[in-house]
Amino acid sequence: MRFELRPWIRTMKARALVRILSQFGEPLWIVVNVGFPIFSSVALALLYESTGLSGYTGFAILGGIMISFWGNVLWSMASQFNWDKQEGLFEIYLTSPCSITAILIGMSVGGIVGTAPSAVVVAIVGWLFFHPAVVASSWVAVVLTFSLTLASLYCMGMLLSSLYLAYGRAAESLNNALQEPVSMLSGVYFPSIGQLSPFPFGIQVAASLIPLTLGMDALRRTLFFSQGLSSVSIELIALAVMAIILLVASSAALKALENKGRREGTISVRIR
Amino acid sequence: MRSVGAVVWLGIYHDIAWTSPVAGIILLSVAPTASAMTTSIIYWLGASHAGSFESSKLAYVLVGAVLYAHIAAYAYAPTLAIAEGKNLSIFQHVYISPKSSELYLAGRTIASFLISFGTSMIALILAGLVLSHLLHTTIPLIENPESVLLLVAALFLNVPAALGLGYLLGSYSLFASKFEWALPSYVAGILMVFSGALFPPSILPWPLSAFGNALPFTQFISAARDAIIFGSISSYISALEYSFVVGVVLLGASLLIYRASAKKARSEGVIDRRLA
Repeated sequence: MRFELRPWIRTMKARALVRILSQFGEPLWIVVNVGFPIFSSVALALLYESTGLSGYTGFAILGGIMISFWGNVLWSMASQFNWDKQEGLFEIYLTSPCSITAILIGMSVGGIVGTAPSAVVVAIVGWLFFHPAVVASSWVAVVLTFSLTLASLYCMGMLLSSLYLAYGRAAESLNNALQEPVSMLSGVYFPSIGQLSPFPFGIQVAASLIPLTLGMDALRRTLFFSQGLSSVSIELIALAVMAIILLVASSAALKALENKGRREGTISVRIR
Repeated sequence: MRSVGAVVWLGIYHDIAWTSPVAGIILLSVAPTASAMTTSIIYWLGASHAGSFESSKLAYVLVGAVLYAHIAAYAYAPTLAIAEGKNLSIFQHVYISPKSSELYLAGRTIASFLISFGTSMIALILAGLVLSHLLHTTIPLIENPESVLLLVAALFLNVPAALGLGYLLGSYSLFASKFEWALPSYVAGILMVFSGALFPPSILPWPLSAFGNALPFTQFISAARDAIIFGSISSYISALEYSFVVGVVLLGASLLIYRASAKKARSEGVIDRRLA
């Protein structure tokens, strides 16, 4: 099939719009999404404070902001195609002239815009209650790190969506099992790589393969340790490379699954 | 009893038998283990840098983190049973069956409790071992038959309070068709902040500290700590007594609320409603 830009962009916009309208058309979803990040941020910030180290409460607030996006990647990206398949939507995607990658990117864009209000609420509540000491020397570095972290995280969600499609009903249990260990290894609430990490070197290397780990580390350094663009340049390059690799891999994985599904006649099988 | 037994079996089958039981238990143990490790590492990081690290406080955080996740996991069972049951048209059939839906929800909660009991113990042991190795410290847990027995007794005596909370959440779920999916995170979050799981409720401003101390779950977690960290029997008995009595009162009140809600839900025709 020849690549055409216009239908690709229209598909992407259409899929993103569904997400955005469903989120903002029902403000209750913000209340639904904000629960876990806000309570865990407050509880862990209080835990930092109770140890006598209130200077680290910012780690907990930043963790709460990023966990909103990680939750969105797991529950609204990775699981989405599996749910679409159960509802009969996935076969329509495949038989339409739309690009699957455009649909995935539209889902990501919609997910980011839809999750932003929850993240903002966590940031405001965290700032109001704990006044974390933000000492960013370069906001360009912060914004760039944040954007690249989200880009690579959502590309990972795209790859997971094809894997979950293959796992069928196990997807939900896998999500439940994955959420906490990945949060721990990637250091959402505490540094899991570098000098402050409690993990041995081997685990730190393995954890660095998760985009969230590098992103969280770079974000903490730029926000709370006043490091600039040059200090986190390696992380930024790694995040950009990861995003590209994950995007290409997700596209290839979906194509392979589509071909396998066609051969075995399982594309429209609802429950496996 | 036969009905409850059948539902307990169904619940266990639903939660772990979709794969091999061993794989099911492992998958369900991963999250509480990682969650307990995360909070314990945060304590270690903060306290080490503030120069206030104490291994007994690490044990305090570890036990609290495992137990709040345990309560949240099975108190949510009635909500899940109703929400999932409505979506899959099972709950309507439960409702019109000769046995009451209260028994069905009690059975599902007991099943969830039994599974969570196992996964919490795995999480406590595994997280304790890994953390001792990672943080180069000893976690001072009392490991003798008496303390383990006291911990198990505390876990069982907390069931009425958690079941009561489950019925309360279930009463809401009869009417909801969206927000109920967020309830587990709210329950876990509220317990995380108010139940003294990670820090004493006394650090919260009044009246939040009073609210936290009044919760039966706070006293249950405190009793569990008395059993396996502090070895204080008198404190254990008084905390557990309070937790059990308040739990039974909560259960009674929640059952009345659930019955009234079910009656109202039926009159409003929402028992088989899937989407708002």
